[in-house]
Amino acid sequence: MTSSSASSVSEVEDPIGAELDAEISSLKSQISTLKSQRALQARHILSSHTTHAILSRLRASKPAPPSSSSNPTSSGPPDVSPLLQTSSQQLAHNQENLYRACASITTFPIQDPDPNAVDHGKVLGIRIDVSSLGRFARPYYVMLNKPCVGEDVLRVHRHTIPPCIPVAALAARYLPIAKGAGEEGGAKGARKQNLGKFIRALRREIVAYHNRTTVIKSLRRDFKLDEDREKRGKGKGKEKEKIIADISAADAEAKQVRIEWVDGKIGRCVVGESGMVEKCVVIGEQGRDWEVERRILGGDKGDASMRGIGERLREGIY
Amino acid sequence: MSVSIPTTSALSPSQLVPSTHPTVSKMLQRLSRPSLLSLVLDWLDEKNQEITAPYLLGPDEDPDEQDPYPACSSLGELREIYSDLQARKGSKRDVVDRIVEGDWRDGLTLYQLAMADMQYLYDHPTSQKWSALKIVPLAPPSPSAKPATVPRFHPSTFLQNLQREVLPDVKAHYNLDRHATLPLWILRIYIIDSPYNTPLALSSKAGMAPLSFDSSRLFYVAFPDASPYIYVSLTTASAPSPGSLSDNRSLRRLTLEGIPKAFSRPRERYRLEGTGLSARNLHALCESRGGGRTNAAGGGWSVYADEERRDNPLDMTVHLPTPESQMGESDEEGSAEKPPQVRGMKRRREDDEGVVQRRKLVAQGRFGNSARFGDGKGIERLDIRLEDPFPAPVSLPSGSSPDGDLDRGARRGERRKGRRSTIDQELDRHKEEEDDAEGSWRPDIRITFQGAHLFAGIRALVEAGVVDGEKMPGWMTGEEGVSVGVVREGRIRGGRGNAL
Repeated sequence: MTSSSASSVSEVEDPIGAELDAEISSLKSQISTLKSQRALQARHILSSHTTHAILSRLRASKPAPPSSSSNPTSSGPPDVSPLLQTSSQQLAHNQENLYRACASITTFPIQDPDPNAVDHGKVLGIRIDVSSLGRFARPYYVMLNKPCVGEDVLRVHRHTIPPCIPVAALAARYLPIAKGAGEEGGAKGARKQNLGKFIRALRREIVAYHNRTTVIKSLRRDFKLDEDREKRGKGKGKEKEKIIADISAADAEAKQVRIEWVDGKIGRCVVGESGMVEKCVVIGEQGRDWEVERRILGGDKGDASMRGIGERLREGIY
Repeated sequence: MSVSIPTTSALSPSQLVPSTHPTVSKMLQRLSRPSLLSLVLDWLDEKNQEITAPYLLGPDEDPDEQDPYPACSSLGELREIYSDLQARKGSKRDVVDRIVEGDWRDGLTLYQLAMADMQYLYDHPTSQKWSALKIVPLAPPSPSAKPATVPRFHPSTFLQNLQREVLPDVKAHYNLDRHATLPLWILRIYIIDSPYNTPLALSSKAGMAPLSFDSSRLFYVAFPDASPYIYVSLTTASAPSPGSLSDNRSLRRLTLEGIPKAFSRPRERYRLEGTGLSARNLHALCESRGGGRTNAAGGGWSVYADEERRDNPLDMTVHLPTPESQMGESDEEGSAEKPPQVRGMKRRREDDEGVVQRRKLVAQGRFGNSARFGDGKGIERLDIRLEDPFPAPVSLPSGSSPDGDLDRGARRGERRKGRRSTIDQELDRHKEEEDDAEGSWRPDIRITFQGAHLFAGIRALVEAGVVDGEKMPGWMTGEEGVSVGVVREGRIRGGRGNAL
């Protein structure tokens, strides 16, 4: 921050100034903490049904105020309508959050600001909330509109799905844009649009992608790959216990995992839709390492899940 | 002396270009003194010695007293000299002379020239014009098969495959570099017409095309991470000798055709497809043709792809109307920000606080957090062709009855579009009249916007009230992410027009 850099400059010449700067910055952080606390408290108070009930009662007990009620000079209890409104907003928001957290696919209307937008700028927004490792990722959005006048044909208008998720292919499959695709039993041969299936398939892809990247992350953590990178020291002593040199996703979709051993072996495994290792090749200096390959592919147990790669590798080593 | 045999392999990066060659010093001269010196220090790095070794004295050699730049005997000594130069002030000329006549008197390697060239590219990020191309499957995928969305880019395999596609009588030098800040690889391809990959290819002997580093022989391909797009530098139309022009063009074309083939694998063939976006700014390309979420959410829609957007289902915050949260919220894409006082606007004073504030809100609704000066994501040119029917000549009625509007709306029937709310009725009436063309004469109108950061400029015009932010068509916000497009019924049809 600027204040910290300023304090470091003044530290040289002016100890009192530095002290004051430190005090100011600590006060500033205190203010921000207090502000967020106040906001949290306000949210809690507004969320409570008791508050809502009290506010409703207050308003009901008061004679209905005229439309321009905000008359500060008038005595008596303050107008509670804005408070009530905020409280209702908060309750609605809480409910929305509940739906988002539990159903993970939610919809909301958007007004396209473009004056030339099709269908009067009505856009259906679909929000996909995905969580991994106990926290929600930034939601993904798909915005759909109806480009054909008088027909219920949806089209993906905008979206925030990264290219590693095949939105276009899924839309081509489940939301074909053809004449009569939106009507009941439309034209002959034309496939019907199915928004539900589209969104479900899309969510499945997104969740699978998140799961794969999460597994790769946790594999890296298992084998302490990120810690070494942070330290960057020439930790030769650590090298002995370290077997895996690197684990990373080899492609954008994280469907191929690249594993590098310290002894120069390189492996590549292909992970399928369901998170199972489908194919695996490990090549060392003496050619294919069938033992490790078999292990990664699940070995005798028949468990080929991507998540278990680390455990199965460990079993082979120790 | 090595034997020169025609071969199909690439030019070796350690191939020397004689330092007397005019383009060598020209290339070095292009760089600024600080970046030239840091480049030289890179060349003197221990790990680069195989391909960037300077001229050093042997252990039993004596320095030549006549030499204006006496040769050093160790790398460390040289490094000190150049670090000294870095600390001192001086002319760039001296440094270039020292490199060309002193420490690299035998010549610079192709790798060094490539490094110098890349340094120039990083120093002048807008020196190249890039156009984005999409890598698409050659055959349309059957709906049942699951197509791979992003072709995998593996640098060394890709280069090997690309090399196989290049004709044997052409030699190319490839240099792949990771961009310092953006998530992309930049491949520099320098083409030489010679069947040999020995010094013969680089010597400008009689009968051979003289070695030149003009732009037609040099081009760049950028590979953004996790993205089905590539960016290709367009050769600026500097016309060299007319004889060699077509040659170089076709060389370039051949290399370009080789790229999708190099991406292809058995049973997975690709081709390139234009995307209607070209710009000088790589950052802007990464934004709308990259591997992130922003590809299909430009302009005002960028609020949904914004990393700053705190939209977590566990977040209880309703954005309460406290002063702290008044600005920067545009969930409803500006629809809520349009109080029904459109008419009054004209009569209000220009510098009215509320009007200015409102314009800012409108701009926020239309552009979101995109198109700001200083975000470094500006494109510099937008070409639009309008194909809308010519508006019928109408006298602007100042107080026409609402019945007329209804009539017109009924007549236009299904073709009516753009009506957003009754609030904008006044605006709509004029617009509908304009649209209501009896004939379908479509004049050929082309609009070109140019500027350092075009959409930021339009946004500034909206905020200043020059452009009406509410009537402005969507393609003026940059939400389509194209630099060339055809507009029909107010919407871009050319590029994508659609998110997919």
